[in-house]
Amino acid sequence: MHQQSLIVRWSMPITIGVLFILSFLPARLLKWTDWFSAQVQVAIVPITHPLTIVVDKIVPTSISDPAANERERALLNELERVKVELLQTREENNRLTSLVDQYARGAALKPDFQVKQATRPRVGNLTGDILQIRTGNIDGLVQGTVVVYEATQLVGRVSRVNRKTALVLPITAPGAQRIMGTVLLTADGSEQSRCLLSPMGNGLLRGEVARPSLEESLSIEVGQEVRLLDSQWPTSAQMLMIGKIVRVESDPEQPLRPLIQVRPTFEDLRRLPEVTFRIPDTDDQGDRP
Amino acid sequence: MNWFVFILIAWVCFGLELALLPVFDAGSGGVHPSMVVPLLVFVAINAPRKPTLWCAILLGIMMDLLKPIPAVDGGTYTVIGPHALGYLLGVHFIMAVRGMLIRRNPLTMVVMSILVMLIAQIVVIAIFTARGIGDSSLVWEAGTKLQQGLFSSLYTGISALLLSFLFFAMGPFFGFASTVPTRFARHI
Repeated sequence: MHQQSLIVRWSMPITIGVLFILSFLPARLLKWTDWFSAQVQVAIVPITHPLTIVVDKIVPTSISDPAANERERALLNELERVKVELLQTREENNRLTSLVDQYARGAALKPDFQVKQATRPRVGNLTGDILQIRTGNIDGLVQGTVVVYEATQLVGRVSRVNRKTALVLPITAPGAQRIMGTVLLTADGSEQSRCLLSPMGNGLLRGEVARPSLEESLSIEVGQEVRLLDSQWPTSAQMLMIGKIVRVESDPEQPLRPLIQVRPTFEDLRRLPEVTFRIPDTDDQGDRP
Repeated sequence: MNWFVFILIAWVCFGLELALLPVFDAGSGGVHPSMVVPLLVFVAINAPRKPTLWCAILLGIMMDLLKPIPAVDGGTYTVIGPHALGYLLGVHFIMAVRGMLIRRNPLTMVVMSILVMLIAQIVVIAIFTARGIGDSSLVWEAGTKLQQGLFSSLYTGISALLLSFLFFAMGPFFGFASTVPTRFARHI
């Protein structure tokens, strides 16, 4: 009896001590907490998912062209897919040209890349703008897998995979890493200018653009497309759509490097109804960042 | 205190908080109201001391588990403890001033929710900032987080006002010892 009261008496200080220690555990010792986090996420889905559906019905999300009907949107998506392929092919052509030079000097040539796609619904959000996606069992889905919407709009990367769900960190999330992109100065993408974009925390990305060209007819303008061109991302993800420029600011200290603000074509990446995972084929080792 | 009712309401509050997160985010990323803190405040001003402290720890651990922190390598880490300790300190504050509070007044809920949220946010930010001294593997900007925490606390006042009427009406189901009807509540 006396021993039991001792346990009861000390349970609170012991709990506080344990919580204090856990709060300061190094990150490398925190992997075990993922399992508990996954269980809580699964437990919370039955309430978050219906509420998310209701919220999305009451406050509909914006898309790039709300006036377009379903068939027009399908055609626009097809057009966008072809455009990505064209730009990727052009970029691949440039890469191969430089690789041929390297090959001549003895460097290894990378094999071609292929990806398989799997579309899954969003079941909710976690704080920090993280999307919670129901995945089931998808072979090859790992941390770092590229996530897109409607085949070409870059959403972000998988930050954690559980048995039934995956957490996706959008490129616009405050905790997301900076990304390199390229601004298409002309409609066909023949003239481009590199930029480095950081998330602003309000659904936009912001960053400097390198001086486009000495040609005066080319300039950075609102509405121009910005696409991914970053060696930290897989080859298959290059030239995916980051978004469109919504604002151009001049920096008085660096007049040759204008600042741009970019918004994804889907206005709020946190409220996507579904996302598509672009999973590299397991036999293919060429699609590495 | 009826723990079953508390857990059920907490489950709904977590669901509401996460589902409404993208909609109520005040357009500046990270500023959003908490639905869980008003529940904690409601329990803290009505329940006995010991169950209240355990409620704070339970809700805090749940919040920690639902709040992964982005890492510099693109992954996320779940740190258990910061919110639990933050809520615990917030609840201790309520315990200290509880004798002076008008318990069944929505304004009490509003003011206490703002203060508890602010205390919890400061604790969380202090812990993660202190972690960052020796371990820079997490993406963490204390200044931005403090700003977001401050505005989120004020925003929580609005959710507390709305939820207070619901909580007051549900008071009897929680099984608190001193539930009496007042002009702010209608028993159901």
